[in-house]
Formats: sequence, C-alpha cells, structure tokens
Amino acid sequence: MSTPATPVSPPLKDELDIVIPTIRNLDFLEMWRPFFEQYHLIIVQDGDPTKTINVPAGFDYELYNRNDINRILGPKASCISFKDSACRCFGFLVSKKKYIFTIDDDCFVAKDPTGKEINALSQHIQNLLTPSTPFFFNTLYDPYRDGADFVRGYPFSMREGAPTAVSHGLWLNIPDYDAPTQLVKPLERNTRYVDAVLTIPKGTLFPMCGMNLGFNRELIGPAMYFGLMGDGQPIGRYDDMWAGWCTKVITDHLGLGVKTGLPYIWHSKASNPFVNLKKEYKGIYWQEEIIPFFQSVVLSKESTTVQKCYIELSKMVKEKLGPIDPYFVKLSEAMVTWIEAWDEINSPSSKSAPAAAVDASASSKKK
Amino acid sequence: MAAAQKPTPLLKDELDIVIPTIRNLDFLEMWRPFFEQYHLIIVQDGDPSKVIKVPEGFDYELYNRNDINRILGPKASCISFKDSACRCFGYMVSKKKYIYTIDDDCFVAKDPSGNDINALEQHIKNLLSPSTPLFFNTLYDPYRDGADFVRGYPFSLREGVPTAVSHGLWLNIPDYDAPTQLVKPRERNTRYVDAVLTIPKGTIFPMCGMNLGFNRDLIGPAMYFGLMGDGQPIGRYDDMWAGWCTKVICDHLNLGVKTGLPYIWHSKASNPFVNLKKEYKGIYWQEDIIPFFQNLTIPKECTTVQQCYLELAKLVKEKLSTIDPYFTKLADAMVTWIEAWDELNPSADVAKVAAK
Repeated sequence: MSTPATPVSPPLKDELDIVIPTIRNLDFLEMWRPFFEQYHLIIVQDGDPTKTINVPAGFDYELYNRNDINRILGPKASCISFKDSACRCFGFLVSKKKYIFTIDDDCFVAKDPTGKEINALSQHIQNLLTPSTPFFFNTLYDPYRDGADFVRGYPFSMREGAPTAVSHGLWLNIPDYDAPTQLVKPLERNTRYVDAVLTIPKGTLFPMCGMNLGFNRELIGPAMYFGLMGDGQPIGRYDDMWAGWCTKVITDHLGLGVKTGLPYIWHSKASNPFVNLKKEYKGIYWQEEIIPFFQSVVLSKESTTVQKCYIELSKMVKEKLGPIDPYFVKLSEAMVTWIEAWDEINSPSSKSAPAAAVDASASSKKK
Repeated sequence: MAAAQKPTPLLKDELDIVIPTIRNLDFLEMWRPFFEQYHLIIVQDGDPSKVIKVPEGFDYELYNRNDINRILGPKASCISFKDSACRCFGYMVSKKKYIYTIDDDCFVAKDPSGNDINALEQHIKNLLSPSTPLFFNTLYDPYRDGADFVRGYPFSLREGVPTAVSHGLWLNIPDYDAPTQLVKPRERNTRYVDAVLTIPKGTIFPMCGMNLGFNRDLIGPAMYFGLMGDGQPIGRYDDMWAGWCTKVICDHLNLGVKTGLPYIWHSKASNPFVNLKKEYKGIYWQEDIIPFFQNLTIPKECTTVQQCYLELAKLVKEKLSTIDPYFTKLADAMVTWIEAWDELNPSADVAKVAAK
C-alpha cells in the first residue's frame, strides 16, 4: 500500500476521544505526545475530587471528578464505580465522538522489533476502520492487512467481513495476569511481539483488558459499561472483563466484529498481587458460573439495538446470576441505570449540552 | 515457566512423516537434519511405473498406485488419483501415534533471527501440549515459554484439552485460491507471526495440508482427504474437506486444533489457471458446504472418531447430495475409508503383530 508523500491530518482527529481514568497524575502523556496531542482527551479523575490532576500543557481535554459525575448524572451516578478504574466508562458516556480509545496511565509507548516506536492509536484506528471476520477463521489472520489476504478455502460470500466494533490491544513487559498467576510468576515479562491482528470468532468469549482498548462508540458504546467495582463493592479487577463478556455476546448477536492483537503498549507497573487477590478472589469463584452463563446467552431477535440487547442481558443477569450473590442483582440494576443514563446524555436533544470542567486555556488552538 | 527449557522429545519411533509426490523428493535434502531420524511414508501419485528416488539415508516405505490397489482391493476407490489427496493413504497404513505431512515444494524457512526453523519439532511441541478451545486466551498459547493464561481466564479451563491437530503456516508463496492468485500474482507472505493459538470450539477453518501434524490415535480416521483429481469434478479441496470434518469432530469430542507456528518456506506457486479449473465448482459448492458444517450436530452416542465420521457421511449424503451427485459418491467414499481404516487398524494388539 502506498503512503502519502506529505503528512496528512491524523486520522479521525475530530471523531475520536481518548478516555483516561486516573487517580495519580498524567505524566505518562508526555511520552504519548507525538501520537495523542492532536486528539481530544476525556480525563476521568477517580478518588479524591479535591486533588488537582495536572494535565501536561498543550493537550485539549475535558476533566471530570466525582463531583462532576454526581452533578451530571444525579441519582444515576450510582452506576459509576468509585475508587476503581471502572469509572472510565463515564468518559465513554459523555463523549460526543464516534470512536473511543482508552488507555491506563501506566501504559507507555512500546517499540516494535525493529526498534521503532509504536503508534498504538493509529493501529487501533486501522483495526476499527477495516472489517472483522468473525464467521470463519482466516489462518493468515487479518486479511485486510497489507501483504495478507483470505486463504484458500475461505468462503467468498464472507469476504466482505463485518463492521469492527472493538479493537483490543496487548501489552509488552508486565502482562495482564490475575493475582494467583502474579504471585506464582512474579518475574515473568511478556517479551513476545506477535505481529498479528485477528478477529475473535463468533461464539467465543474472551478476557477483555481495558488498558489498551479502542471501540466504535456508535456501534457498541452502550455495552461498554464497566460494572460496579471498587469502593463499597465486593469485587474489583473484573470491570473490563464484565464489559468484555457483555460486549462480545452483543457483537455476536448484532453481527459485529471484535479484533485482538496489535497494537502493543509497554505496561510499566505491576500492581500489588496481594491487593489484587483481595479484589479478585470472589471473581475467581464467580466467573466459573458467569462464563457458562454468557456462553449460553441467547438474545432475542427483537433486540436489534445495543441498548435493547443490554437491557435484555440485565434481566438475564438478575434472573440467572442473582442466586449466586445479591451483588448481581445490584449489578443488573446498575446496568439498567447505565442505559438510562446513556440514552439521556446521548439523546439528540442533549447533543450540544456542555458537559463539565473544560480547560479553555492551554488547549483548543491545536485544531 | 522454568528458566531451563526442557528439550522437546524426538518421538522418533512414534511419528511418521507422510509425503505425497509425483515428481521427486529432492526437497528432502534440505530437511535432512530435521527429518533423518524419522520414518517416512512416501505416497507416489501418478504413473506407478516411474521410479521415485529417495535420497540416501532415509528410512522409508513407498506406495504407488499398484500398492494402494493391492492393499485395499475394491476399497482403493476411496483414495484419489492424480491429486495430493492420495496422501491420506499414508495415514491409514501408518502404525504410529503421530503424523506429520508436508508437500514436496516446502522447504526449511528461517525465523526473524535467521535461524533455520525445525518445523517438525514445533509441531511436536504443539501436539504434546494442551489446546484451549473453550475460551480465547489473548496471549495466544498459554503453554508456551514466557506466556500464560491472562486475567479473566476461568481457572477450571486451564488444564486445556488434548491437542489433535497442529496446523502450520507458510512463508513466501501463501496458500491462496485461484481467483486471489490471479488477482495478486506477486503477493508473498513475509510476515512471521510468532504465535500458536487454538482455533476456538464452534469455529471452522480452512485446513491446509502442506505443513500439518496430527495425533493419529486421537483423530486419524477423520483425516480423509476426499475424492479429488482424476475422474472427479473437483480438486484442491481435499485438505479443506478433511479440515471441516476434523474440526466438527474435534469440537464434538473436546479435542483441540492449533494453528500458527511453525512456518515452512513454500517455494512453488501452482498454476492459477489450472487451479481455477480444479477449484471453480468448489467455489460455489463451499457456499453450501460451510453452512452445512456450521449447523450440523453430532449425536451424543457418537463417542469415537469412526462413529462421528460415519454419522457425518450420513449427513453429507442427506444434506449435500442435492447440490450434486458428487456428494453421494463422496459420502460413500467416506464410509469406504472408515471400513478400510478399521480393517488396516484393528483395535486389538493384533495390529502391532501384523506390522511389516
């Protein structure tokens, strides 16, 4: 494929928001500056709202702390987690853009095997702008990449693919392991660069990690609810997992695709495995029942929008998972609250409503 | 995983290398360091009066069409002629637990560091470690050094399932169908993807036979490469057919299929015009065949590969024969294949005694 001789405007510059949850600082943005600077950021500040989070100069952003979340959502704010990066989904909700890229504040720019810095954002965009192939496995992985194609035996009627809803990136250095694995293998680092993007086949669930994730908000946004985690909740570190399972059954139902693989980021911080175990341990048991639940979910034909699918899912969660623990009843209700909030904030009449503390000064001239 | 890597077992007395050929076996010279210790089964296609020279030093058995006819009698009708599909005769007569099959235009590839890739060793690694078809692991094969299951992967699924098939890939000439070859004659696969992954349960894939390993004990009878070539309306769908049958049976029996490493270097691009002639019916037919495989269910009572396969043959005759009478013939050939397999591979220890 040819590349342009002169630089062009970053792709989707006005159609994509970068959502970053943070409780500490945003120093990591300095390293991402060449790749992110032209995009609008939505910062979701977790924890103490009186703390001031410094955003490096030159970025165009809006920032929301807990007070903003409470103000904007009112009673519905109960569905947004506190003291957990799950709060990031508030950023998905208030965004006005078609695409979202979300990244954790301990994720840095990785290098590919040639030593070149990886522009993770542009790879996600590439993934989102090309079709997926969920209906049949292509052994040469993503057939829409340069130098690849569908292989012999791939049905021709399926070669248009399906629209891509999600682009799930990976991590070099600290891999995304659960607490038991972290405890058993504290030294393991992911050093293997796998040069592939592939579609996760229809009917197959996967563990979706939220630290390097892109999605088409118009296609799948309402499914990206990161659940009830953190403060006052019996579980943590299952926010992205929950969103991933819900998202996958809905994308399967609606004929949309989920890709995984490139791009890699460099994950620098290993969270404390003892703390993680405390957060996760209920999930370790619960997921043994949650997974079969999701694997056997059948959404009705009448559920033709993401919201309808999600509401239907919430009913099933209450009915089938409620018996495991009252938490799931709460969660199913929060799922409904989330959809109500989503529709309210994203209804046509509210499109122009100003959201929150937008930093007017150092920002908007970048356009 | 532990810092010291355990050496991969050679399995030299448990694995046969099956090679179909119509030309010569010169390519074996390049593979000598990796293959020399193993027993080869050469299936000579085409003119049986031609003499195929096997390079010095290899331990082998060779079968031409006369041998196939002699050994199988009337059942030889299920073995294709003038098509590399005949290779499955080699699977049938093997007495080993594992098979590796490779085409005679496939050579040793190099990895990105420039090292020669021992494809056979990688296939053995793949076959000796479990698969994970029930849930997708985003770091690919969790049993590889330096990898593991990721957060969110259910613990009860971490034992995995036995691996039945190891499907390798190809650098240089990619395995494209005729239309794609015609449209993109210059495309070469230069991307080395350092991954082995399990193809999830419920997902079908296009299985290429040119760099393929499998556990014959677990899945052998499903590896029938169909009726292709001489006297048949279709070609270049042999491995595809075997792959679709194999995958639905693996899914039913809770066995795993891996794809990815190892790479071989595929040197020869077959003639796309010839390929189009062979494939073109398949291009239409597969539009019906794929939904057939995607929607079929094998009854619980089918607990062996043979039982599953015979059930499949029934379904093929019932559902696909309306497409073309070829499928009736194929269904019958599938039954013949199982009969021949069971005859040559009786389950008792008798089989060991009867070895050549």
